Amino acid sequence: MSSFAGLRLAQSALSAARAGMTVTGQNIANQTTPGYTRQRVDQTSIVAPGQTGLWPSGLAVGGGVGVTGIARLGDDILDARVRDALATSGFWVARATAASQAEDVLAEPTKDGLAANLDRFWAGWSDLANTPDTAAAQVVLTNAGVLIGQIAAGYGTISAQWRDLRGQVDSQIADVNAVAGQVAALNGQIREALSSGRNANELMDQRTVLAQQLSTAVGATGVVEADGTLTLRVDGNALVSGDSSRSLMASGPRDVADGGRVGIAWADRPDVPVTVTGGLVGGTISALAPAADGGTLAGVAGAYNRTATALASAVNDVHRTGVTAGGAPGGDFFALAATGPAALGLRVVPVGLADLALAAPGAGAKDTTIADRIGALATSATGPSATWSSFVTGFAVSVAGDLQRADIADMGAVAAVTAQQSNASVDGDEETINLLTYQTAYQAAARVLTAVDEALDILINRTGLVGR
Amino acid sequence: MIGRITSSTMTQQSLRTLQTNLADRDRLQNQAASQRAFRTPSEDPAAAATTLGVHGDQSRVAQYSRNLSDGMAWVTTVDTALGASVDLLNRARDLTAQGANSGALSPAARESIAQELESISAELLAKANTTVLGRSVFAGTSDAGAAFDPGTFTFNGSPGDGVRRRISDNETVRVDADGAQAFGEGADSVFAMLGDIAAELRGGAEVGARLADIDARLSGLVAARGATGARQVQLERAASQNLSTSIDLEARRAEVENVDSLEVLVRLQSAELVFQSALQVTARSLQTNLLEFLR
Repeated sequence: MSSFAGLRLAQSALSAARAGMTVTGQNIANQTTPGYTRQRVDQTSIVAPGQTGLWPSGLAVGGGVGVTGIARLGDDILDARVRDALATSGFWVARATAASQAEDVLAEPTKDGLAANLDRFWAGWSDLANTPDTAAAQVVLTNAGVLIGQIAAGYGTISAQWRDLRGQVDSQIADVNAVAGQVAALNGQIREALSSGRNANELMDQRTVLAQQLSTAVGATGVVEADGTLTLRVDGNALVSGDSSRSLMASGPRDVADGGRVGIAWADRPDVPVTVTGGLVGGTISALAPAADGGTLAGVAGAYNRTATALASAVNDVHRTGVTAGGAPGGDFFALAATGPAALGLRVVPVGLADLALAAPGAGAKDTTIADRIGALATSATGPSATWSSFVTGFAVSVAGDLQRADIADMGAVAAVTAQQSNASVDGDEETINLLTYQTAYQAAARVLTAVDEALDILINRTGLVGR
Repeated sequence: MIGRITSSTMTQQSLRTLQTNLADRDRLQNQAASQRAFRTPSEDPAAAATTLGVHGDQSRVAQYSRNLSDGMAWVTTVDTALGASVDLLNRARDLTAQGANSGALSPAARESIAQELESISAELLAKANTTVLGRSVFAGTSDAGAAFDPGTFTFNGSPGDGVRRRISDNETVRVDADGAQAFGEGADSVFAMLGDIAAELRGGAEVGARLADIDARLSGLVAARGATGARQVQLERAASQNLSTSIDLEARRAEVENVDSLEVLVRLQSAELVFQSALQVTARSLQTNLLEFLR
């Protein structure tokens, strides 16, 4: 054993303690950095050198401490769980947001809602039945104008929301493509760093954050490969694999009236559809789907159309059976455009009292049987009021369901993120204790160095001075 | 299992709790300010469905109340006109009975009776042409200016069910009276009859036999008045029923749609308390740091 082995040992201890303090410093510095995962110095004791000399001594002390690396205390399983939870919560958040926005447009059950306006319309007919004069007729005609205006405006707002969401899908897909490219680039750097034995912890942290963004956006699921790269898949096919990424593209209808589903496909294989069932894109697409597939907005737009059609046919059916004060047979009260959405195609045909067929045929000119029957459509089981009310009730239940599922998915995401963070995040107190530990270790190592130094000093400078 | 707690998980958790508390407070404040139990139908779909139905019912009940008051105006007008007509015809009967004492009356007295009968006839015609809001109450659904032509006494009214008012979801009530039935029409009308009697008096004829004719007309008028009275009772009953329905509906609406102010206030206070203590606790726990205890 060399005389200077003690110095070498103390040196290794000093550098290990210094490395510990530096890594602790890095942890403290990044305490609030998003996505940062705490790190630890991996150290191991150095075994005593093998003895092959001619006169082996019986004593063999280890060679001190060695720093073997800096470990990143992340957990791939927890990261994967966060990605899954974010995919689910992204889906339901997108759906619930779209649903509650659509619900706000309805303004039910307030006096500004369509149900209240329909009631005012029916009441106008009843008043006209009491006093068939010009003023009451104007009230009915104005109410009718307001009513079809409200139906058209409601439909218009919903269809604008639909277009906004459709635009969001495009921008989300563009984001996904950009982020996937970044993940691929990071994958390349990480693979290179790991294969050459360098530290890639910070790169992995950045990649984790980006991968979570992709999961939130399109519900990408990920697997860490043996070479350290992260493979992200959407609908079973790789979005990012190694250092290459693929692009997605959105296609399909541009307006709620077009019908059909918004589709996602690979940019390099446009004929292969990608079923996105998670993430914001998945939720948005499901909110944009046709009403038959559970699309929220198309459901509301369809209800406006059905109410418009029911209104036109119910009122026209009764109005046609009457005769005007001049004895002419009654025509249509509402005209419905042959093309386009019914909600936008309503028009009031009569312009004054003379055009209104209020009287039953054969009765007097002031007869108002027909007006009374139109007013009584308020209670018709198949009338527009019933159509609208039953839609509002059903819609409220489905929105409540969406909101509830969004809450549950959110709770799941919070639990997953909490589990991930409780493992990976930096704790100030813990780092303070680590700092103290390494500091004490450094001080003790310095003392070892001094002790060995003093012992050698005695050996070199004080030995052999007897009798000098 | 207690997971590893770090300063950042603690901060996140505190932020979430505070957010939840704030959302709770916001909901209660909104309830207190708007007095509405729910903002959107999805908060309480069942209550929203009930509210929609009750709002529709309330709108209809308000409409029936307007119909009823309009119907009341018609029926009372008809009743007043018929009542006055019965009185007039009774007076005409007295005069006719007087005129029937042919021996005791001078030609001058006959002439004055005849004149009075003629003026009663004119007055009856005015009653038969009574209008409400510009419409003849005895002309049914016709748009003629007067129910009876002043010269020929032709009835201008329309056949059919007459003027009806809707008083409930499935009930309408006739609010006019058939002028032809009450007063007769043309040469057969009460006006023509009184004119004839006046002419007979002037001619010195015996008019005692006409008393039976007057009685027949009188019973027609009384019958019409009775029917009108029955309808008036029906309308009054419907009005009081409508009123109690509207009170029931309002109570139901308030129960479903409005909040109990006291309850909201108490809940708001307790939410306030929870929020404040959450703030205090957060402030304390986030401040604690090992460095403060190290030299």
